[in-house]
Amino acid sequence: MKKIEAIIQPHKLEEVKEALIGIGVEGITVSEVRGHGRQKGHTEIYRGAEYTVDLLPKVKLEIYVPDSRAEEIIGVLSTAAKSGKIGDGKIFVSSIEEVVRIRNGERGETAL
Amino acid sequence: MRAEKGTKATGSEALVRRARGGCARLTLAAAILALTLVPGLAQEPKPDPAGIATGDKTTAVDAGGNSFVVAEPTDKTAPDYAQKKKDFDEYQRQAAKEPLAVKLADSVGHVRVATNFAWTLNTGYLVLFMQAGFALLTCGLVRKKNAGHLMMLNFAAYVFAFVAYYAVGYAFQFGAVAVNAAPMNLGGTPTLNHFILGSGLWGFLGGKGFFMAGPGYDAGSNVLALFEVVFMETAGYIIVGSICERISFWSFVVCELFIGAILYPFFGCWVWGGGWLSQLGNTMGFGHGYVDFAGSTVVHATGGFCAMALSVVLGPRLGKFGRDGKPRAFPAHNIPFVVTGTFILLFGWMGFNPGSTLGATDLRISVIAINTNLAAIMGSATAMLFWYWKFGKPDITMACNGMLAGLVAITAPCAFVGPTSASIIGILAGLVVCLGVLFNDHVTKIDDPCGAISVHGFCGLLGAISLGLFADGTYGVGWNGVGAASYLGQAGRGVTGLFYGDTKQFLVQLMGAAICAAWAFGATFIVFKAVNAVKSMRVSKEAEQEGLDVPEFGFLGYPEDAIHATES
Repeated sequence: MKKIEAIIQPHKLEEVKEALIGIGVEGITVSEVRGHGRQKGHTEIYRGAEYTVDLLPKVKLEIYVPDSRAEEIIGVLSTAAKSGKIGDGKIFVSSIEEVVRIRNGERGETAL
Repeated sequence: MRAEKGTKATGSEALVRRARGGCARLTLAAAILALTLVPGLAQEPKPDPAGIATGDKTTAVDAGGNSFVVAEPTDKTAPDYAQKKKDFDEYQRQAAKEPLAVKLADSVGHVRVATNFAWTLNTGYLVLFMQAGFALLTCGLVRKKNAGHLMMLNFAAYVFAFVAYYAVGYAFQFGAVAVNAAPMNLGGTPTLNHFILGSGLWGFLGGKGFFMAGPGYDAGSNVLALFEVVFMETAGYIIVGSICERISFWSFVVCELFIGAILYPFFGCWVWGGGWLSQLGNTMGFGHGYVDFAGSTVVHATGGFCAMALSVVLGPRLGKFGRDGKPRAFPAHNIPFVVTGTFILLFGWMGFNPGSTLGATDLRISVIAINTNLAAIMGSATAMLFWYWKFGKPDITMACNGMLAGLVAITAPCAFVGPTSASIIGILAGLVVCLGVLFNDHVTKIDDPCGAISVHGFCGLLGAISLGLFADGTYGVGWNGVGAASYLGQAGRGVTGLFYGDTKQFLVQLMGAAICAAWAFGATFIVFKAVNAVKSMRVSKEAEQEGLDVPEFGFLGYPEDAIHATES
């Protein structure tokens, strides 16, 4: 099993969600986050004083899937989230050891 | 707004022409003053900036509007000359016998004017507070990422539209208000008396009182100016609800200057400044001329159709319509703001409509206040039930839009109808706003984030037309100078709509409403299509995606959303 974690532009969320649902992804977890990658933040002026806006709003998606589906989902996700500009975000993939469905104690891929 | 209450005055009736207008209360007193006190009509009336020469026995009237002072009849050929002369002689005899009573009348007349000043100013302050309601309502209805931008637009609207109205808008709208009307309750000094376009009963644009100086530097004129500028601001705010979340600040400022200087004052002059639309009763025999008591069209439809044109020029927000053209929902980010804003607007409307009598001595104010509330609740109830029936759940933002729709629609007819008609008008408005929102989303594809086009544009037209249907003739005798004795062949009959016997009033209402929509949409579209061709009025795509707060103003509406490295 894999965990696919993607940090994307907030305005791409709808498109990404639609694309994932379109290929049968059943569950996603979304959180609003702020951060920055390689791009630099910029300076703004508030009442004459400078401050930097370097932590920009992003959306983080987490998806847990069987190994067999990971590549396909990564492909669809990166296509849907792409605008081609700096700040489009990243996708991180890691292995998951165990999944438990709390309601009935199911484990492994059947619990996904 | 505002024409003098029906009067049965016998003296100088021919001179009494009430214009409505935001103004215009017509004045018996002014006519008398002009005739008897001012030597030679060519001489300009003197402004009274200190307010110490405003209000005397000539402004003392009874509940029916009959003047204490009886003027000497001048037209010896008039059929009622003998009776008028007799009344005048009797008044002279009584005045000679009781000079103290005449002196006392000077105080009574002054207090009457003072009462009406205080009423008009205070209701104007209520209307001013509506700006806070609009700010909360529109801010709450948009997405969180644009909250700061919305507040800035609302704030800048008040500031820049006021600048334009102060410089030229007020003079364009009311610079000739004393030609066909004079603000009687507001002091009786007819200083604003010149059209720069047109003349007499065919006036198109006022021309006195620029920068509120000279003839505008007068206590009475300034009451009018305060009351009218906050009305103009309402139109200025309305557009925010349609053009938000994508318009750039510089182009918004241009929009506000255009509304305050040109768009609003032109149509306002025609209806409230003694202009040609208000005089169609005298010139073409159309009922009482075009009547809009407190501004369903002058204020709301003007703002609504201006908003519509701007929204067409700007185009929809990114992602509002999917590739298949299906509208997407961008839910409101703060429902408590929306509801609080709506209630502030309802509260402010208690100044907007009853205040448009321009005088507390016009006791119709209580009927107006009740009518206004009835239409508001009926509009909201209708919108809630319609949504409940159509979509299975009532929608709080539509319930709020429904209340505003009822308020907008009752604004023109509020003084001329009874409670049943007010309720029906509210119900119709509730339906119009629901259908209007769905129509814009699904048919015209004009993006209207806060429903301003439906609430103010469509329901504004409904208001003017419903006056032509439901006005029951109990109020508005002699409105716009239409003969109090001869109208519909009955003495003492007020403004009357189709259902009560005057087809022509209905026709002129239809025409006035159509002209309002065509003017507001057409003029705005032409001007801003050109502006947009020179330089795009929209913010960049990236700014729109990020939210306009930081790209446009360098701050966030909700700074707690940002994590600043400098914070401890």
